[in-house]
Amino acid sequence: MDGMRRYKSMFLLPGLLTLFIIIIFPLLFTIRVSFSGWNVSNPHMDFIGGANFVRMLADHRFWASILRLILLAGGTVLIEYVLGFALALMVWRNVRGQRVWRVLFLVPMMTTPVVMAAIWQTIFNESLGPVNDLLGRVGLPTVQWLTSTGPATVALMTVEIWQWTPFMFLLLLAGLLSLSKEPFMAAAIDGAGPVRTFFKVTFPLMAPVSVTALIIRLIEASKMSDSVYVLTSGGPGSSTETPGYYLYIRGLKEQQTGYAGSLSLTYLVLMIVTLTIVSRLLVRTLKTRTG
Amino acid sequence: MAQLELLDVGHCYVPGEGEDRWALKPLTVTFEAGKTYALVGPSGCGKTTLLNILSGLVSPTRGRVLFDGADMTRRSTRERNIAQVFQFPVIYTSMTVYQNLAFPLECRNWDSRRIDAKVRTVAEALGLGDRLKEPARKLNADDKQLISLGRGLVRDDVAALLMDEPLTVIDPQLKFSLRRRIREISEQFRPTVIYVTHDQYEAMSFVEELLVMKDGQVMQQGTPEELFESPRSAYVGYFIGSPSMNFLDVTQDGSGVWLAGQRLAMSWQPPAARVPAEASGAGAAQAGVLQAGIRPEYVRLASAPGPNTFPARLQAVRDHGPLRVLHVEIGGQRLALKLAREAGVPHGDTLLVELPRAKVLPYVGGQLATVVAG
Repeated sequence: MDGMRRYKSMFLLPGLLTLFIIIIFPLLFTIRVSFSGWNVSNPHMDFIGGANFVRMLADHRFWASILRLILLAGGTVLIEYVLGFALALMVWRNVRGQRVWRVLFLVPMMTTPVVMAAIWQTIFNESLGPVNDLLGRVGLPTVQWLTSTGPATVALMTVEIWQWTPFMFLLLLAGLLSLSKEPFMAAAIDGAGPVRTFFKVTFPLMAPVSVTALIIRLIEASKMSDSVYVLTSGGPGSSTETPGYYLYIRGLKEQQTGYAGSLSLTYLVLMIVTLTIVSRLLVRTLKTRTG
Repeated sequence: MAQLELLDVGHCYVPGEGEDRWALKPLTVTFEAGKTYALVGPSGCGKTTLLNILSGLVSPTRGRVLFDGADMTRRSTRERNIAQVFQFPVIYTSMTVYQNLAFPLECRNWDSRRIDAKVRTVAEALGLGDRLKEPARKLNADDKQLISLGRGLVRDDVAALLMDEPLTVIDPQLKFSLRRRIREISEQFRPTVIYVTHDQYEAMSFVEELLVMKDGQVMQQGTPEELFESPRSAYVGYFIGSPSMNFLDVTQDGSGVWLAGQRLAMSWQPPAARVPAEASGAGAAQAGVLQAGIRPEYVRLASAPGPNTFPARLQAVRDHGPLRVLHVEIGGQRLALKLAREAGVPHGDTLLVELPRAKVLPYVGGQLATVVAG
């Protein structure tokens, strides 16, 4: 029996080892680092207690980035959901060129985020970009898309939404295609119009898929940083900084390894807690109302 | 209620398919207002397609659909004002029982007081009166089907009530009372009812007319009585009745019709059967062969030889509750007959069976033979 058990666990070893190397070890290392004063002038694993965490509590730039992330992620994901659902509904039923549309809608998702953000940067460019050009042509004042706080946030959200709506679209379309026809036939018989059918039949039936799609996207959006880097570099000032990008500045640019460790640990814990609560709430509000 | 007409309506699901392979071959049928019809036939014979064309869920490949003379072919399901109950329970999972039943009425903008009264009446009739507040998804399959049925019944102004094997998933106990309930409702409101079923008893028990279908065609339309007494084809004879109608191969010559070397008198004299010289194999034989058809209900046991009385060998006895079905053999051909239970099982395996002349129908090539004048 004992031999058998050992024999069986041998098969788990490769998986466990990989897990340890790519997840557990970095995590443990980060925890250890966060209690050290490791930085560019003092690259040692010393022990300074909770000093990094005390410093973090007073770091307004970090907390502002966390708050900003919550708004950015929540806002973009919500808009992505609405747009993705609309697009999915458009090509769900037999429409002309259904296949072409379906592939076309997925293109943004397949583009590398950095490349895409670079393209958008050109689009939003204040003097050369087509957006301001267009605004000028219709007689509207030009907007400082990347150098003033509000417009920069809008630009950032636009890029995120443009890139990730296809993902929502894909999940929601798959969900729609998996729905059985009968409830829709019954709704037609009962005399429900398209709007009523959507809110009373389609939307409730899609609740489980919606919850999954929203949660997956929220997890992904909580890591938002590459598009920030390319598009605004967190600017103007630090007004579009997300925690991911702020961590990059502290940890990699300024080489404050110990402090960045404590920040990332806090960021991780906060996100786990927040996302868990959010998913619970989503599941409760959407799923319990349906079968 | 309305009179529903199908004019030369046919449907194929695969575009460009030859007409002989269509799910529903072009047909013309009239369903009169206020009458109850059943569509019976094996799976895949086009019953559901026909129903869905009537309700507008399927748009026919050709032909026109008329409601009270008005062309409805291109109208939406909503405009047709049809109630349809499907084979499997369809409920709106996010709603309560009450909301489910009220849904068709809300869609038609009834005022809430009228909805409330109607929903309660129907729920009471279906025995769901005390469960109105429950979420519909929590109910079991039977009760869910009751809800689907209820949604079909709340609107009493419908053009027609279409039911696609609605009792398939209902348990047998409930089936009986539900069937009675549907019949009561159809007698009370006199809607045009079209009922699709596999179960001929279900059909016979409450419809005025049956349509027997096969391979997308209507084989025969008539009252249960007509279909039972004079099936126009061997197929209908097989399909309606249990056990199905007996068909015995007989021969005909100048002097009459012969079965197992003995003269057989039939209801009417069939036209001289063609027996093609090259007749060989089942298909060819079927083309012109003369058969005598008789319902097991009409075959009698005889105590003494007489006209149309044949010696038979008893092969098996099957218990059918109040009746027994005897399987016998006459000259190598099988025949079933029904015997009242109190008659007891006859002794010995050699019997005499009488085929009453009035009930023996001639079939040529699987079709009821025409009466020859003179």
